[in-house]
Amino acid sequence: MPEAAIRRSAEPFLFRTLAIAFTVFIVGYILVPILVTLVMSFNDAAMIRFPITVWSLRWYADFFGSAQWTDALRNSIVIAAGTAVISTSAGILCAWAFQRFPIPGRDALYVLIMLPLFMPGVVLGLGVAIAFGGLSIGGYSFYGSRAMVMLAHSLWAMPLVFMLMEATFRTVDNRIVEASYDLGGGPVRTFFEIVLPMVSTGIVSSLLFAFVISLNEFVMALFLTDRDTQTLPVLMWLSLRSAGTPRLAVASVILALTVFACLSLIMLWYIRQLRKVSQ
Amino acid sequence: MTAVASESEATFAAQRQAELRRRALAPWILMLPALLIVVIFFGLPMLLMARMSFNLHIDQRLYVPGFTFEHYVNLFSNPLFTNAIWTTVQLSVLASLATVFIGYVFAMLVWLKPPRWRLLMIGLALCPLLISEIAIIFGWWMFFPKNGLLSFALLSSGLISDKISLMYTEFAAFIGLIYVTLPFCFFILLSIFDGLDKRLLEASADLGASPVTTFREVLLPLTWTGILVAFSQSFIWTIGTYATPSALGPDTLWTMGFLIQEQMLGKHNWPMASAFAAVLVIGVACVMAITRSMQSKRTAFHA
Amino acid sequence: MVAPALELRNVVRRFGSVVAVNDVSLSVARGEFLTLLGPSGSGKTSTLRLIGGFEDLNSGAILIDGQRIDHLPAYQRDTATIFQSGALFPHKTVAENVAYGLRMRKVAPPDMERRIAEALDVVRLRGFEQRYPAQLSGGQKQRVALARSLAVRPAILLFDEPLSALDLSLRLQLRAEIKRLHDELRFTAIYVTHDQGEAMAMSSRVAVMNSGRIEQVDAPEKIFHAPASEFVYTFIGESCCLPVEVGPSGVADKSGALLPLHLGQSQPTGKSRLYVRPSRFRLAAEAAALPNRLRARVHFIEFLGDVYRYHLKAGALELAADHPGAIGVKAGEEIDVGWRNEDMSVFR
Repeated sequence: MPEAAIRRSAEPFLFRTLAIAFTVFIVGYILVPILVTLVMSFNDAAMIRFPITVWSLRWYADFFGSAQWTDALRNSIVIAAGTAVISTSAGILCAWAFQRFPIPGRDALYVLIMLPLFMPGVVLGLGVAIAFGGLSIGGYSFYGSRAMVMLAHSLWAMPLVFMLMEATFRTVDNRIVEASYDLGGGPVRTFFEIVLPMVSTGIVSSLLFAFVISLNEFVMALFLTDRDTQTLPVLMWLSLRSAGTPRLAVASVILALTVFACLSLIMLWYIRQLRKVSQ
Repeated sequence: MTAVASESEATFAAQRQAELRRRALAPWILMLPALLIVVIFFGLPMLLMARMSFNLHIDQRLYVPGFTFEHYVNLFSNPLFTNAIWTTVQLSVLASLATVFIGYVFAMLVWLKPPRWRLLMIGLALCPLLISEIAIIFGWWMFFPKNGLLSFALLSSGLISDKISLMYTEFAAFIGLIYVTLPFCFFILLSIFDGLDKRLLEASADLGASPVTTFREVLLPLTWTGILVAFSQSFIWTIGTYATPSALGPDTLWTMGFLIQEQMLGKHNWPMASAFAAVLVIGVACVMAITRSMQSKRTAFHA
Repeated sequence: MVAPALELRNVVRRFGSVVAVNDVSLSVARGEFLTLLGPSGSGKTSTLRLIGGFEDLNSGAILIDGQRIDHLPAYQRDTATIFQSGALFPHKTVAENVAYGLRMRKVAPPDMERRIAEALDVVRLRGFEQRYPAQLSGGQKQRVALARSLAVRPAILLFDEPLSALDLSLRLQLRAEIKRLHDELRFTAIYVTHDQGEAMAMSSRVAVMNSGRIEQVDAPEKIFHAPASEFVYTFIGESCCLPVEVGPSGVADKSGALLPLHLGQSQPTGKSRLYVRPSRFRLAAEAAALPNRLRARVHFIEFLGDVYRYHLKAGALELAADHPGAIGVKAGEEIDVGWRNEDMSVFR
């Protein structure tokens, strides 16, 4: 009996200690590669070596001075923006069809649309490369073009947008849509003037998700880009294979900053939106 | 009079037909862009890839049209390839188990902790999702080697006396893989935990159950579906990835993803790469189907 | 001959195997205020949605001003609906909400300004133009919805239980307001409700619906005083049902025991159900001169404010009779209860 009592009083202490230990572990685990990169980007030396002795912005200057790297960054942003637009518009329209209309073969179509999301990037990249490897339309080589990569990235981004928007559309009060029809608003006008403004938060989140997925993706891009359309992650991957320098750390930081810049913009927009409704 | 009536009746019927046709067509027009993307850039490539896997590979050309099972036979007889399949499956299962375990504890802690911690923890879990896999790989690439942060930290704290390197080990690959799949598991499991009533724990404790018993008898059965989904998600992700294990792991760590890439871009053997990819796709599909059936069996049991 | 503002001809609407609207025919004159009254699931809302164009009918025809419109989508029909929730566009101001229908009808801007102002005047919401729906109370939202529908001057106004989400005092207030608007503007309206008080107070005619069919269409007074069916009788107002069997030796209850009941008019032999409203019973001395009389025992007495309600039993019969004051009988004592012939309805 006293043994059991001791065990009982020891238990909460044990669990608390374990919980704290685990929290320290998980915070460290998640932050280590991020912080290492951030710190290394301010290193002055050409070698990756700890401890860092001299700090400078030398590698930032190097990054922005190199046409190869800034071109890659520009390619990345253009492709990500294109993917965001393509997959968000296609995904929203498709989700609206699912919400609004009875569709024959609904479940099968759902699976078909979601399936690419579960496919490894290496398989999708290979498949698209095989299918469109030699394709050129009117002298314009489709293979290696940015449009090709945008569409390939949409295979991941679009199902995600579709899933998100399907859930969002379910929150829309059907009577408001009917009220618009009732007052003489046709389906197209109702969709753009009534439905879309009501789900603006979902749309903005979709754009962000699609943008981030495309910006960070590099396996498909590796298969589908050439020297001129190379994205930043692809260039990083290729140069990591040859030699790692603090320039890679700078590229990582800039890639992450792009994502967080978009995120902050959207946060600002969202807060403004909240204020508008609640005033 | 009747003629006029029947004529107007006929135009009316025509108008009605047109309206019904228009309404039946509308969803297809809306779905068209999405379906075009999926069919042209996913369906068609998958079919061509399946066809490609039966083509011949001779004279170092990308491929030669033909029909042979050679690549599939090769895939399951050549020890190089069978080892790769085996390694990949092993690595994926182990990494997924570890991810689910860490993700489960993480999600449970966030669920149990007061709300003010919650947002911070969720933000933390979002980091690996928002940062490119390549940046994370590079982060570990600076952490594990001889001159890396880990070695430096251990050395300066006096725990070791000589520089160590964990780079290019299976351990490093393992750590890298878990990192990338952790947020998926975490969010899946957190959503399951959020669906539970915390008073369940109090009720169980009230009835005299120890925390361990409560976990085994209450929490685990209620979150089992989430564990299953998280595991299969993480398995699907790890089995197809190649960047992290090939960059952090030893040169001998050949995964399926790596071999596909190698055959495609290095050896220029498209049929072999396709056969490999086809096997991978079938594997992923099987895991999805198995998870689904286990899930529905469970829900049927609960209902 | 002027075509009716709205006409339904043998309209049928099925959901799977359920017939929601079963062969409904109805004709509504211009300026009429017709209420579809019925319990939930009686098909009244489905009927309204068929008229508005939100559902497809399986057979039959719907005509507005003599023109068939059942093939037209909702946005091409000259109807405007006031929904239960108001269904205001949350991202548009009050003025923008009202303007929406006018813009769809391509009303010229100066004209539009005037009509928005008029519509908001009518529902007494001038000065609220720039507010968003989230900044309005429930009653105000419903008035904006009303203004939005009135502004487009539709051939038919459709009301889909517009007051059921509001609390009682607001409901009564808006009910009076809709009535006033109808008296002023003489619009044609179809009003769906399950609240008989609303139906009686506002309508020129009431259509009582039950399991997809219209049981009776009549003026509210007719519906109340001359119900066409047992369903209408029991659905409208309170009623007491006396199930009896008329035999050669007298009137018996369902167990066969003879009742101390005297009927003024002889009834055919066999089973029938006699219905009387509690307010129409007379008690004790007042019952003596009436043609229908029953000797009953007081079961218990409730005080309802305006009246006392006497719950009475006679054999297997149970009835409730209202009386404006206490009459000095206690539970367990016997009392006479009587009623006039015209206050009784007999169904078999």
